[in-house]
Amino acid sequence: MLKKTLAGLAVALLLSSTAYAEEIVVYHSWSSGPEVAALNVIKKGIEAKGHTWTDIAIPHDTGSNVNLMNLVTGGSPPNVFMESNPGVFRDLAGLGFGRPVTEFFEEQGITEHLPLAVAKSITVDGEIVKIPTALHIDGMAYYNMEVAKAAGVDPASWTSLDAMFADFQKVSDAGYVPLAIGGQQWQVGYLFHALAAATGGVDFYNGVYGAEPDPAVLDSAEMRTLLETLRKFQEAADEGSANREWNVTTNMVITGKALMQIHGDWMKGEWTAAGKSAGTDFGCIQIPGAKAVVATVDSWGLLGGQSPEMDQAELDFASVVVDPEVQAEFALAKGSTPVRLDAPESALDACSAEVLHILADPAHQVQNPHSMSDADWQNSIWDVVFNFWSDPSMSVDDAIAQLQDNYETILG
Amino acid sequence: MSQMSASERAAGATEVPVARAPYFVRKKKGISPQSIAIIVFLSMCALFFCIPLYVVVVTSFKSMDQIREGAIFALPQIWTLDAWDHAWNKACSGINCHGLKVGFWNSVMILFPSLILSIALSMVTGYALALWNVRWAGAFLFLLFICAFVPFQIIMYPLIVMTSSMKVYGTIWGVAIVHAVLAMPVLTLIFRNYYKDIPQEIMSAAVMDSGSFWKIFFEIILPMSGNILIVILILQITSIWNDYLIGVTFGGLNGQPMTVNLANLVTISTGTTNYAHNMAAALLTAIPPLVVYFVVGKLFVQGVTAGAIKG
Repeated sequence: MLKKTLAGLAVALLLSSTAYAEEIVVYHSWSSGPEVAALNVIKKGIEAKGHTWTDIAIPHDTGSNVNLMNLVTGGSPPNVFMESNPGVFRDLAGLGFGRPVTEFFEEQGITEHLPLAVAKSITVDGEIVKIPTALHIDGMAYYNMEVAKAAGVDPASWTSLDAMFADFQKVSDAGYVPLAIGGQQWQVGYLFHALAAATGGVDFYNGVYGAEPDPAVLDSAEMRTLLETLRKFQEAADEGSANREWNVTTNMVITGKALMQIHGDWMKGEWTAAGKSAGTDFGCIQIPGAKAVVATVDSWGLLGGQSPEMDQAELDFASVVVDPEVQAEFALAKGSTPVRLDAPESALDACSAEVLHILADPAHQVQNPHSMSDADWQNSIWDVVFNFWSDPSMSVDDAIAQLQDNYETILG
Repeated sequence: MSQMSASERAAGATEVPVARAPYFVRKKKGISPQSIAIIVFLSMCALFFCIPLYVVVVTSFKSMDQIREGAIFALPQIWTLDAWDHAWNKACSGINCHGLKVGFWNSVMILFPSLILSIALSMVTGYALALWNVRWAGAFLFLLFICAFVPFQIIMYPLIVMTSSMKVYGTIWGVAIVHAVLAMPVLTLIFRNYYKDIPQEIMSAAVMDSGSFWKIFFEIILPMSGNILIVILILQITSIWNDYLIGVTFGGLNGQPMTVNLANLVTISTGTTNYAHNMAAALLTAIPPLVVYFVVGKLFVQGVTAGAIKG
């Protein structure tokens, strides 16, 4: 026993004497099976570089990351943290903890391999400050192939939302729910911005969700089409949809009660957890006729103002995260898509390959609102949209008036 | 002599309703329509609380395949303890997958210092305010009363800076101190109102017998505080055990309580959800305060009826 301990100590000493072994404190909010498996891929990589991983996991939803800022003000900040909200990075820079990595990305030749939406998502005020780790599309349609066959429809052939709605009667007649929707505020909010990109296109989308929204788009033909489309989705929702979790909703599709769901493609995790595989049990398409897709990028931030050794360790962490091989392995474990267009194709499933295929066109993609929009503005859109969703008597004009009102209050 | 009168007083308080009871007790036995209505109403209330609990319990024994089918009221096809084992031993909180037991022991480590600190602080304060002539006592009480209505979230940031400058931020002591400070207003008011009913004669006699502040506290007041202590213990154990925000904010890297583990397990944004694991974990987290309540619950009711939290 003692011998073992001594041997262990010796090994530990040996390891720690290799070049700048640092204890990297990693702050994140991931704890589910696939997420942890993905984190372990990165952990393996940084341990190979001689560093250790100290974990601090606190669940939080998007928005201002209070727990992270608490750790910073309390004097025990993590070295690496999972965060996408640009406001947090601005706050940290203001406190002297900013760590831009633009140069590092240029030196390593990473930027040119990133889809445009990813490159934009990781940039705050002209500097790259985030290390992209996982990519998701906010509005993909995942459908059960067996149900599609039984109902006699082929989602892959839809070229517009009208074609999709036209087929719904057929699906209902066959005894299936055509479209499974979870009626929670954030889900409807996500559906809304996914549809904004799909029906309105890049310019319209950026007018609503950009860093500086354009008040003119709030009362435009595109906005009316968008709200009317959302109303159609609401009318197509089944009775049990109110306040249903997205993953419960996904399970309706998995178990063959419903044909399809339009939601973020993290749905894939539920499908794989249920033992189904992409391309044979379930199919994935972008929203029919989409003019653009919304990319959500999960990313890490690095803490600045550290010792040169720790700074190097943080960059080691970054280089592991964006390594193409690690990206492929990570994406497979998490159920996400690699953030690099040059990730080895052999490691991609049918859905990830489809996503990278879509994202190869820079004119066909926008970023998730959380990575650019003002947080209050974004929340106010969710409020209006969810009220619109929940109250069928609310007209498009009412919704537009409320949006304009909120714009005046928050950004005007 | 003085203790006699105190116990008489206490006894008198419980005797009054007993003496009156016969006037109000039902005249004839048997089931009247009124009592049927009451029984129906009570059963509905009980069902209202028991049905969700039933779902939680049976779900924790089901397999994920059965849960996906969506019949939440069905009994498990195969009863399995896997979820409980997973929640206790293997659930991941971040990258560390050692189950809720890690957080359980953290919670225990947080519970005791927080309990002792918060109760000691407010007990002595309540005693001083009720039984000694403290200058500005009225103003101080009023201030405490106001403080009881200040939400923790508002003063969280200053508290972080303060604990950080005291070098206890991120430690169990930091959590304990914050619990003690935040519980102080309400607990002090409760203790003060309880001690206020102790007759002035006891205090006069004690002072005459040359008792000092602490001597009177330990030899006379503390032995008389059984009832109120039970009430406060239950209140505090429940609130400290169930606390999330203070633990997550002040616990630092390794001191996070069980509720944070639970939240990590249950809060899923883009991952997959295993409901059986979640239910088992929730039950495991809820058990300790329940056990405390069952063990001393009877004393709790006695404490309340003996006037512990009246006024």
